Amino acid sequence: MIDFNQSWLPFIYLYGVGGIFFAIGVRLIVKTNALNLSIHRHRIWLKLLFFGFGFYMLLHLILILLALGSK
Amino acid sequence: MEISVGSNLDRIVILAYFALVMGFGAYFGKYSKTTSDYFFGGRRFSWWLITISIVATGIGSHSFVKYSTKAYEYGFSSTMTYMNDWFFMPLFLFGWLPIIYYTRVRSIPEYFERRFNPMARSLATLMILLYMIGYIAIQFLTLATALYRIYQIPLMLTVIIIAIVTTIYMHIGGQTSVIFTDLFQGIILIFSGVFLFILGLQYLGDHSSLVGIQAFWDNLTPVQKLPLAHFNRPPDFNFVGIFWQDGIAGSVGFLFLNQGLIMRFMAAKSVNEGRKAAAVNVLLILPIAALVVSNAGWIGRAISNLVPNAIPAGMDPNDVFVTVTNLVASPGIFGFIIAALCAALMSTADTLVNASSAIIVNDIYQPLTKNKHNDKRQLDIARISSIAVKILAVILVPFFNSFDSIYEAHGWFHSTFTPPLVVAVFLGIFWKRFTTPAVIATFIGGAFLMVLGQFIPDLVRPIAHGIELRPGRGYSYIGALYNLIVCAGVGVIVSVFTKPESSEKIQGLTIFDVNLLKKIFKGSNPNNRPGEKVSVRWELIPGDQDKIHFSEKEMSLMSAEEGDLVYLSDSRKWLGGLKSVHSVYGKAHNEEGIVYLTSTHLERGLFTANKTLMAEKEM
Repeated sequence: MIDFNQSWLPFIYLYGVGGIFFAIGVRLIVKTNALNLSIHRHRIWLKLLFFGFGFYMLLHLILILLALGSK
Repeated sequence: MEISVGSNLDRIVILAYFALVMGFGAYFGKYSKTTSDYFFGGRRFSWWLITISIVATGIGSHSFVKYSTKAYEYGFSSTMTYMNDWFFMPLFLFGWLPIIYYTRVRSIPEYFERRFNPMARSLATLMILLYMIGYIAIQFLTLATALYRIYQIPLMLTVIIIAIVTTIYMHIGGQTSVIFTDLFQGIILIFSGVFLFILGLQYLGDHSSLVGIQAFWDNLTPVQKLPLAHFNRPPDFNFVGIFWQDGIAGSVGFLFLNQGLIMRFMAAKSVNEGRKAAAVNVLLILPIAALVVSNAGWIGRAISNLVPNAIPAGMDPNDVFVTVTNLVASPGIFGFIIAALCAALMSTADTLVNASSAIIVNDIYQPLTKNKHNDKRQLDIARISSIAVKILAVILVPFFNSFDSIYEAHGWFHSTFTPPLVVAVFLGIFWKRFTTPAVIATFIGGAFLMVLGQFIPDLVRPIAHGIELRPGRGYSYIGALYNLIVCAGVGVIVSVFTKPESSEKIQGLTIFDVNLLKKIFKGSNPNNRPGEKVSVRWELIPGDQDKIHFSEKEMSLMSAEEGDLVYLSDSRKWLGGLKSVHSVYGKAHNEEGIVYLTSTHLERGLFTANKTLMAEKEM
């Protein structure tokens, strides 16, 4: 039996604490206009930034579920 | 247990590879004409070229050995460090990248002088050089350890031979050689890593990859299949410690402070190309790189579970990469895969050596010399210093060889040199209130408190997340969190009690001015109107004024005006911008399809007769 400290806690910590750094970063670049939402190309970049975060989260989620489901 | 591996065919393949890379690097040396070309490749390359060359820089020879070892011991969680870099991408892509690109800083220490003062630059220079030279020494040691098993040449002699080989092509070519040899080596690296995985699956599946996949999956335990390590156990490989050391300190260190990486992005033809290169690298290439560097360990673990005696019982886990490769690959193929290990070493070392010599020229020679504009002299200094850096790295090899493992040497190295620099650069970019006395205090006071933490582990215990203290060895990874906290604490406290810098002094050097950077770079308001790319033929005009003249029609298609910035390149996209030049739009003429440029543009752009050019407005 794989315990919580081995399976889900690292995942929650990674995307919880890492997510805080990510959110602060996005907030800062939007607030300072470094990422200017009135520019079409920048709007695509913002979507890509969120996609990247979701991509890695999904990848880790799938791998954990596969591991937990295996014998 | 000593392992001797490889056949004569393997040895020949490895030697042939060394010769090929030297020839490749020497060929592209002809494209380096100025110090800008030597260090930055002339700000001309496409994103895909930068992306692949970054692969080869990011995967060092230590990566194969280090991650295979952890993959063998712990399974898929060896990939953690390759899949935790996205959190800082917003700040890197839209904060740091435009700052370094548009302010034209030539080195990280130069940023410290502009943002703070010369003393901050000197301290940053010292720390970054120590960091990079040590890093090169670890690369030499790793590869020499592997080649020693194959050639049986004494370790230090192997180190010296490797240093000489990498010196030859770097000495001739500089950054352009580095980028193109790394392009070649990056492809070899990925191909050979994936190839090794396929060979391993075939071995497990008795010559069938499909059966091998099933056997591979069935012969790893559920714990070995988890992508993240146990939260806080064991002390030498746990999730939370590695998160703070690698995911936070390491990611910021790699993205924001790695001079070699920064120089790659500055070689991109534009900030947007640099962004694309970084995004593709982290999103697509790093997961592949995780597989490339770890799979020998996973295959080794699956083989040892399936066939208990196939891998020697007393094998040192550090030898798993060479042992598994020797087991699953036939003679010649084994040599080819070890050549990929050489590729990893050479491409990481050449980038770091080039970056170190850039720092020596820009941050030590330039501030001291009266003859600041002698380009030839600077190139000579760059070449001499690249040799000196390698000699120092070779001297440091026995020190790193005294650690129990390369993994430990690398870990010590990261946790010691990264945190003060990470805190200093991060607060410098993202906090206007961060002052010059504060950055000096971060370097000196922070370093003092870090040393204190090494000797008094009880200081680290409250933030150790329950990680067990190893007697006599302290807290290895989670120590990075302590180091970050004390450095940031010193920086913030001293900032609060000292006078802030004036807005004029730090203009363009923090994220708050990023939207002004284009104007600072161009010298006038940027023209952001969208325009098209146009195809033109070139003709020469006398003179050496840095202006390029298009017809009125093409100027209109590009939405360009006289005085705007233009990027002109050979229309063959596969060249990746190798033949290109940046310039300024001059007065328009009436001859459609023709661009007039000077012999200086022709020489810098390396344009060929009868080849059409592609032009686009830069800003």
